[in-house]
Amino acid sequence: MLASSSFSIHHQEWIIWLFFISFPLAEITAAEPPYFETEIRPILREHCFDCHGATAELEGGLDLRLVRFMKSGGDSGMAIVPGDPASSLLLERVHEGDMPPGESRVSPEKIAILEEWIRQGAPTLRAEPEEIGPGIPITEEERNYWAYRPITRPGIPEFSTNERIRTPIDALIANAMPEGLTFSSDADRFTLIQRAYYALIGLPPTLEQINKWQQHADSNWYDQLIEELLASPHYGERWARHWLDTAGYADSDGYTVADRSREWAWRYRDYVIKSFNTDKPFDQLIIEQLAGDELAGPIGGDLTERQIELLTATGFLRMAADGTGSGDNSPEARNKTIADTLQIVGTTLLGSSVHCAQCHDHRYDPISQVDYFALRAVFEPALDWKAWKPPAARLISLSTEQDRAEAAKIEEEVKQIAADKATKQAAFIKEVFEKELLKYEEPLQSQLRTAYETPAKDRDPEQTKLLASNPSINISAGVLYQYRPDAAEELKKFDAQIAELRAKKPVEQFIMALIEPPNHQPVTHLFHRGDFNQPKQVVVPAGLTVAAAEGERVTFLDNDPELPTTGRRLAFAHWLTNPENPLAARAIVNRIWMHHFGRGIVATPGDFGKLGSEPTHPELLDWLARDFIDHGWSLKHLHRQILTSTAWRQSSFRHPSGEAIDADNQYYWRKSLQRVEAEILRDSILLASGSLNPKLYGPPVEVAEDETGQVRIDSKQPRRSLYAQIRRSQPVGMLQAFDAPVMKVNCDVRSNTTVAPQSLMMLNGEFVLEQAGLVADRTTELAAMDSQQTIQFDLSQLPMMPSPIWSYGTGEVNDKTGTVSKFVDLPHFTGSSWQGGPKAPDSVFGWVILNANGGHPGNRKLPAMRRWTAPTDGQVSIAGTLQHGSENGDGVRGRVFSAGGQRDIWQVQNNSTPTNVTTFTVQAGEEIDMVVDCLENENSDSFTWPVQLTFTPVGGNAVVHDSVTAFRGPADDFSELPAQIIAAWQLILARSPSPDELKMSMEFASQQLKLMTDHSAGTAPNRTPGKQVLVNICQMLMNSNEFLYIE
Amino acid sequence: MNSHLPVNSRRQFLQQTGMGVGAVALQWMLNRESATAKPPVLKDKPHNDLLPRAPHFEPQATAMISLFQHGGPAHMDLTDPKPELSKHHGMDYSGDIQFSFVNEASKKLFGSPFHFQPYGESGTELSDLLPHTAGIVDDLCLIRSMHTGANGHEVSIRYFHGGIPAVLGRPTFGSWLTYALGSETQDLPAFMVLSDPGGHPVDGATNWSNGFMPSMFQGTVLRPKEPRIFNLQPPKHLSGPFQRQNLDFLQSLNQQHLEEHPGESDLEARIASYELAARMQTAASDALDISQETASTHSMYGLDQPETRDYGTRCLLARRFVERGVRFIQLFHSGQPWDNHSNIKTGLASICKKTDQPVAALVKDLKQRGMLDSTLVHWGGEIGRLPVTQDHGSPEKAGRDHNGQGFSIWLAGGGIRGGMTFGKTDEFGHRAVENIVTPNDFQATIMNQFGLNHEQVVYTHGNQQQVITANRPARVVEEIIT
Repeated sequence: MLASSSFSIHHQEWIIWLFFISFPLAEITAAEPPYFETEIRPILREHCFDCHGATAELEGGLDLRLVRFMKSGGDSGMAIVPGDPASSLLLERVHEGDMPPGESRVSPEKIAILEEWIRQGAPTLRAEPEEIGPGIPITEEERNYWAYRPITRPGIPEFSTNERIRTPIDALIANAMPEGLTFSSDADRFTLIQRAYYALIGLPPTLEQINKWQQHADSNWYDQLIEELLASPHYGERWARHWLDTAGYADSDGYTVADRSREWAWRYRDYVIKSFNTDKPFDQLIIEQLAGDELAGPIGGDLTERQIELLTATGFLRMAADGTGSGDNSPEARNKTIADTLQIVGTTLLGSSVHCAQCHDHRYDPISQVDYFALRAVFEPALDWKAWKPPAARLISLSTEQDRAEAAKIEEEVKQIAADKATKQAAFIKEVFEKELLKYEEPLQSQLRTAYETPAKDRDPEQTKLLASNPSINISAGVLYQYRPDAAEELKKFDAQIAELRAKKPVEQFIMALIEPPNHQPVTHLFHRGDFNQPKQVVVPAGLTVAAAEGERVTFLDNDPELPTTGRRLAFAHWLTNPENPLAARAIVNRIWMHHFGRGIVATPGDFGKLGSEPTHPELLDWLARDFIDHGWSLKHLHRQILTSTAWRQSSFRHPSGEAIDADNQYYWRKSLQRVEAEILRDSILLASGSLNPKLYGPPVEVAEDETGQVRIDSKQPRRSLYAQIRRSQPVGMLQAFDAPVMKVNCDVRSNTTVAPQSLMMLNGEFVLEQAGLVADRTTELAAMDSQQTIQFDLSQLPMMPSPIWSYGTGEVNDKTGTVSKFVDLPHFTGSSWQGGPKAPDSVFGWVILNANGGHPGNRKLPAMRRWTAPTDGQVSIAGTLQHGSENGDGVRGRVFSAGGQRDIWQVQNNSTPTNVTTFTVQAGEEIDMVVDCLENENSDSFTWPVQLTFTPVGGNAVVHDSVTAFRGPADDFSELPAQIIAAWQLILARSPSPDELKMSMEFASQQLKLMTDHSAGTAPNRTPGKQVLVNICQMLMNSNEFLYIE
Repeated sequence: MNSHLPVNSRRQFLQQTGMGVGAVALQWMLNRESATAKPPVLKDKPHNDLLPRAPHFEPQATAMISLFQHGGPAHMDLTDPKPELSKHHGMDYSGDIQFSFVNEASKKLFGSPFHFQPYGESGTELSDLLPHTAGIVDDLCLIRSMHTGANGHEVSIRYFHGGIPAVLGRPTFGSWLTYALGSETQDLPAFMVLSDPGGHPVDGATNWSNGFMPSMFQGTVLRPKEPRIFNLQPPKHLSGPFQRQNLDFLQSLNQQHLEEHPGESDLEARIASYELAARMQTAASDALDISQETASTHSMYGLDQPETRDYGTRCLLARRFVERGVRFIQLFHSGQPWDNHSNIKTGLASICKKTDQPVAALVKDLKQRGMLDSTLVHWGGEIGRLPVTQDHGSPEKAGRDHNGQGFSIWLAGGGIRGGMTFGKTDEFGHRAVENIVTPNDFQATIMNQFGLNHEQVVYTHGNQQQVITANRPARVVEEIIT
């Protein structure tokens, strides 16, 4: 085991490493002379080797690959004179911008390094080789680069007394921490439960789930929680989404503006979900995705379940954009699809930007252009640009023998019906012909008959002419309907029968697969400058040279005699998943780590090369990769390892002492806060509103542009976001706003932005507004079901809720005082009008009805009364129009009363009158009544009386209260509001509000209700003020940081 | 809402009207302002914010409107008179020439069918196709010696926007500018793109891509029709005080949450983004409301004519955005209307008709409002056109093929010398021969006007230190600066 001394060595390495990444090379040259291998060669690789070393054709005869070649020089003499920069031609040419040719330049910093190196005598770290093969050799430094070194089995430092070190992950992380840092304490149970739900299934826990795990008494409750979540089918959905990012999954072809839909891509998506759910060993998953068709055996007859699975897996290699079936089947388009496919393979499975070596040797990594084309040769037999198949031609039918037999049987029946139809048709034609013929005299009649009955090709010119000059006799199937419409109708019945039969045929389904044709071995050429018009030498399939020991480059058989296909991809997949190959395992565990911690151990998961980042914890990366391989490439095992570590379980809270040492949390002294991903956000909202349809698998849910042009997911299918159709040209607004990738090639790391359009989307976007309404509906139901919750809240703390401003009733006018002496609320609301009961007339209230626009009075003792109550002291004026629309009846009388008595009176009969009342003063709580009565009898007394009441509160601005728009059903029952608010918290945040939070919400409700009253606005159509406030609370909770961030 | 106030009064404004703004968010915003950050330089970690940053030295321009003319305006028919070309019309060109459309290529010299004459005090010659531009010629610096060296559209477009010919995946000019200087406005995006109702230009969203920078440095595309910004307006029932009340409730929830998570800048940024969203609702709606402009302004920009209405509206909106502190605004056409391979006589006249008046109005308007001094206006495409005929059988149908060897653009305002021409093409207008300016020079010069040393604005991507010109040769064209 590592003792403390090794700890300190380790520590020093850290410091050196940090030093290296923090400062450009130019600044450290003072201490050490630059060496060829470490400083100079990378510059030459970037700018010079293309023409001076990479190929046998050396420009100017100059080879820069070794220092001694540079000294001996080329056609123009010595390239460098050690110790004498001024006489060194290389430096001069670079300095003056002659080299490199074209417009790219070596930066001044790098020129300074070159100069310094020559001045110091052009030192090398070691003796140069005697011989050197063609191309740019891979140096010891390059081969020793961390990403190509074998995966080590790091020792686990011992921390016998530290209970925070739960797992080897913790030991390795703690070991790397600088003095003064330690893990934070564990997050509380609530947070841990939530975190585990988000991490493993991508959905927040409900309150019930939280309660279940909060109250769990077993000491190993946490392990049980992890197991339960790993066993959930939603686990596969969550982690498939991550993999689909890297695979570049899309439901459309892209490349051309047509962006044709990929109808069958979803089977690959489902394959990934299922594979993750069954914890298919990841090496197996890689092999199936790369070479499923080569494993599937001969394809003929019915596909077995296993064959379907294997072929579906190769959808991975069909993810790249491909315009060859939608308008551009050019060599450029084909080669672009191949290049994108290689880029996807490289970044996901090799952790390498190998695609940068398509046009020339990689400028920074030891990957030659030959390496790139050797990789291309692996895929060439299946992706052959010279024998290209557009996407549709690559689909594999899932029809079985039985399907085909059924179809054939149906076609047999169709044939019979078609024959019957033909017979019938011929008979009709014959009939019509005979009838038409009768219109001709002999001998023309016989001549026409003979001509008609002679097959067209045997007719003599005379006959042809005869028929042509008597067109009406040329009866054919096509013109039959003109003579006998009834016959045509009868024949159509046969067609209908055929269509009906054919509809019973099994629907043909397909897989989007990559299948290599048997016995197809195209030759792969290296393309000069990546240009397919300039093929150069033949390249054989092989793995990356640098990933094998010197002189042991792994090549693959051109053609495996054991297989009908070439076996190249299978061999490549086996090479890649060989436990000794360091590339794939590191790439995979790094990605999983990244998703759990928000940042990879290598921050650039698609590029472990020089342009990417270095691992912050190289030993941890190796330990995870080795452990992953040792445990059968099990992702679920890897999740357990990570989730049981203290590093993952610790709290996310910052503290000053940690901040002072490591503000960026590079050392994992706390868990970093993470914003939920786009899909989690949308899914969580659907879950809270109770709309989420948890159905697994299947064709994607369609997307479409709404009237504003925003792309939305079909709201009738509220399924998890990963099932939404991913059209490259039509990214879903909500998901894209929150950084879901728009697939060009693939997505290694999602960006994580905080921008105003996200807030606008959450505040004003239709989806969120709709969902907030649905959550509010649920809170109402829940509160009604569980009224006990109300008891938890001291109702005496309820802030004053403003009473409704309009009421609807009947009553009495005291004729002596000229005021309203009695007002009785109408007891029943039909949904559109207030009245005495479900049916009018009502036994008590008679015909009294009030609706938005007007209503109907009852008998002489039962006027219809619309009442407005002044919220504060102020001034009122009224404008309106009273109308009686029937020719029958004796009309109605309208009056306006205030506390001061009758304000005005009007009478209408089959006509209308303006009902304007000039400004008068009211006091808070004063009632204004608009009373309509029937005069003598109530027959045919429907009326309309829209009123606009302008109220100017003392010291305030005038507000118009419109009797039509303000018309409401029963007033809110605020007694349930606390329970509803509690329910909103529980549905959205999976917890009850604290007393303070509840109080704050109630105060908000009270203030907003007051604002609504004062402004006579603020509610959506068909919503009461109380409901609207609740909707607003729900919407704001879904906007809150607590909802958007995972602690 | 008056949102183009100087910083101090904006601070007062925020404090006065800040009731309801979450106290934390307000404090955060004010902190942003008080500590105007330094511009990014070599060795800086790339930042991930739009803090206003001081330039390296005193700037002459603080905002820019780029009127990008996709397709390659034919300089010898618009801005670069060539009497020799007219004299040799119909004769064979003796020099080497690169064609993109070989099947229709000819070497027959094609004298401009349009008449040129000098305008203004400067006497700069323009063709009859640009009568309105002729009226602002004394404010322009017309560069007649642009050179991309490549004839292809995308190659040169990416050179102009991203710094390297043909290369994808790089941040565009607006991204670099907003990365370097941050946002002056707290109410609107710093980099805005006004797109054409007909659709995106050639090369699509690459024209305003943030490349390897975070997406906050990407151009925000204003839709060509209503709604110009998605989700900008709340539904009717939430507008006004109701949403403000909702936001206050939200911010009090968030503030309480933040108190439990001190120091989480992500949470603070989210709180601030809600306030920005709220302000954007007012500010953007206000900026987009061109009914506030007088009838004479409307007619100056050509809003009263069908041909100029769209481009005029966008030019006017650009001015209104600059007034409100937007840093960089770029106007694009659908496709590439200046790509006159055939029927150049009618095709060129038609796109000139669409743009000439609005463009001139913009410069005039900026000048009369005293904004031209600090606002740089750029007009130009990615290439020009060849002096020879692209043959379609008849002279009427004749056009011109691509030419990246020499062409014209113009700049105005922001410390650029007006009333001058700079550089020359050869006697036929084929190649730039004097004072050649490349897109990298163009980038360096504009950065300079913003007070930035283009070599010092560095973004570290992977382990590479990136600059706008990708370390290609670039010079500040001092001759055209006041």
